[in-house]
Amino acid sequence: MVRDLIQLNVQASDWRDAIRKSANPLLVEGDITKNYVDQIIASVEKYGPYFVIAPHVALAHAPSKAGAERMALGLTTLGTPVDFHNEGNDPVKYVFTLSTTDPNSHLDAMKELVGFLSDDHFYEVMDRAVDPHEILDYIKNANALQQ
Amino acid sequence: MVKALVACRAGVGSSLMLKIKLSEVIEQHNMDIQLEHASLDELEGFDGPIVITLSDVADDLKKEGVKKEIVGIKNILDKNELYTKVSQALDNVSKQ
Repeated sequence: MVRDLIQLNVQASDWRDAIRKSANPLLVEGDITKNYVDQIIASVEKYGPYFVIAPHVALAHAPSKAGAERMALGLTTLGTPVDFHNEGNDPVKYVFTLSTTDPNSHLDAMKELVGFLSDDHFYEVMDRAVDPHEILDYIKNANALQQ
Repeated sequence: MVKALVACRAGVGSSLMLKIKLSEVIEQHNMDIQLEHASLDELEGFDGPIVITLSDVADDLKKEGVKKEIVGIKNILDKNELYTKVSQALDNVSKQ
């Protein structure tokens, strides 16, 4: 996760808006194409919100071939949580946007993310942060402690 | 060893995280289960008895009449939910 891909307290009108706004930094950086974002929304319309994986957490992504140019992981916290119509895990407050070109290449990144999402303190850091650096510093420190 | 397929729509994000968390639970409880990870496209070629996925995908698979023991997970971070549902699936499969 890099600084440019973290956005805090973004206001979104609904789940589509939340996905578009969360994906925007990756689009700007060239990590994904516009079609990738459209495909994320299209899959939710077709299959339902299958990537709302835990309470208040969405991992927005589409198949690589939809327009993932390179591996990237963005984080957007929503100023006002938004319903994704996922019973049990609504409303969504933390939207992670994932772009991946090869399922095996991002295993370590996913392991790391699972670790942070299982850590209550990480949510406090995301809620409290006023600058993306605070989240990045927390991640860096936690990783340093593990090594 | 009982084989289980961990799958989601794209096979790159949600199901990979689910597999990571499941592996922790399986190791912790020493469960007799071997995980494979794929997208749903590969479901047809899978020869094991159990499919583990997110709950809304599980509902779709059941509606489609997929002949497997289908486990739907709501919160992939909740180890209790993972353990309870996977144990139940193992029980069901062993009775077949």
